[in-house]
Amino acid sequence: MADIASWMDEEAKAIGLPIAEEYRANVIVNLERSLAIVQPLLAVELDEELTPLPVYRP
Amino acid sequence: MTDLLSKAATAADIARAVSSGKLKASAVIEAALKRIEAAEPTVNAFTDVVADRARRRAIQIDAGQHRGPLSGVPFAVKNLFDIQGLPTRAGSKINIDGPIAKRDGALVRRLESAGAILVGALNMGEYAYDFTGENIHYGPSRNPHDLTRMSGGSSGGSGAAVAAGEVPLSLGSDTNGSIRVPASLCGLFGLKPTYGRLSRAGSFPFVDAFDHLGPLARSTEDLAMSFDAMQGWDPDDPVCSDRMTDPTLPTLVEGIAGLRIAVAGDYFAKGGEPECFAAVASVAKALNATKTVVLPQAAAARAAAYVITAMEGAQLHLERLKTRPQDFDPDTRERFMAGALLPGIWYVKAQRFRRLYRTQVMKLFEEVDIVLAPATPCAAPKLGQTMMTLQGVELPVRANLGIYTQPISFIGLPVVAVPTRTAGAMPIGVQVIAKPWNESAALRVAAYLEKQGVCVSTPA
Repeated sequence: MADIASWMDEEAKAIGLPIAEEYRANVIVNLERSLAIVQPLLAVELDEELTPLPVYRP
Repeated sequence: MTDLLSKAATAADIARAVSSGKLKASAVIEAALKRIEAAEPTVNAFTDVVADRARRRAIQIDAGQHRGPLSGVPFAVKNLFDIQGLPTRAGSKINIDGPIAKRDGALVRRLESAGAILVGALNMGEYAYDFTGENIHYGPSRNPHDLTRMSGGSSGGSGAAVAAGEVPLSLGSDTNGSIRVPASLCGLFGLKPTYGRLSRAGSFPFVDAFDHLGPLARSTEDLAMSFDAMQGWDPDDPVCSDRMTDPTLPTLVEGIAGLRIAVAGDYFAKGGEPECFAAVASVAKALNATKTVVLPQAAAARAAAYVITAMEGAQLHLERLKTRPQDFDPDTRERFMAGALLPGIWYVKAQRFRRLYRTQVMKLFEEVDIVLAPATPCAAPKLGQTMMTLQGVELPVRANLGIYTQPISFIGLPVVAVPTRTAGAMPIGVQVIAKPWNESAALRVAAYLEKQGVCVSTPA
């Protein structure tokens, strides 16, 4: 995850999202911010039996 | 005695006078349209004024039709609510090319069924991905208490219009704080109900997992009256609950007797400017709330809300990001693009964590009925300000005005944002948080604070 620019380019290619040159720097800034903000979530350890919300009800 | 045609009149004042025949709805609407005309060059809360429609409706009400508890009350809605005959902008330029709404959104219809009169659509941050009230296409909605400052967002026009006294009542949406943040910055009462309580049918979505709709006003009574008129199951919104409605207006007189009230500590007691903690302290003192509780893992909750928002929002807008990126507001475009690139495992973990966090917080509500927390980490920043310093740390304004609101809407708890203000300072709000479906308790606390003179909202 260290190379944010490569992350951006590869993932954008995979989902077919063109990112113009003039948007690149700010997308990278936002990815860096996301990476910082998500840390407390990534640090949480969850029990394996914990299922997600929402629960699908057919 | 309040002049019923002035900006100080509340929705309840107007409805009582119109219902008793003391006041004509037509006169109320003409006065509101005049105030809008006078305020808009500076406040910029409205994107559409539906004057002809409002006048026609007022004539019908004066003729005895469509009467109800909100008879003659002018209101306006964030422009993500459908209004028949208009494109639903949702703060964007792109949506102007989209479909024209064939009917009003569900809550617009419910308020009008209760006698209220729609006067227009309100400015907002593009696609609701915003806490500032700024918008490159339509200009910022400005804070009526200081026009050089932000209204807060994304329901910026909804805050500005009511704080300026253009209308006594507005509707906004709140996904991560978009009612509570402008209520805080504009000095208003705002209600974000329980997730699933009010129908979202006929409104442009942002993040289905967290989208809520609700009212902003200058009194608790107005919040309760409008909330009661909007409650009820709607098959057009699959999230809308089929539980019985809970009328809140009759409960406001009960005061705070029997309510166990605590202050949120830990995460909610740090990371903000002193003014936000002083606001909580003043409210807590008035309520004699001395207990502190900890919402466990609130920082992770905020992170999870951020991830789900970024990823659901990006997925919703992906085709537009691919085909019309140049037509987005630059302040949202690259945030949405980044959201489209985040790893799927983050999303799943966020949803799994959401269940754990909900269980933990529900346990807390076995001990307390109400939790108090700051609404925003600071009072209104300056327009155009992109970075702010919170306790010595430089942070982006746009992502951080909602640090205290995000962990609450993440699990759909009902909240009333109540206003505080000290002499010479800008207003700042406090969240009065209750357990799911207990809006009544939060509104009772707000009404008590209002009665004690601790939380008062006056138009600018």
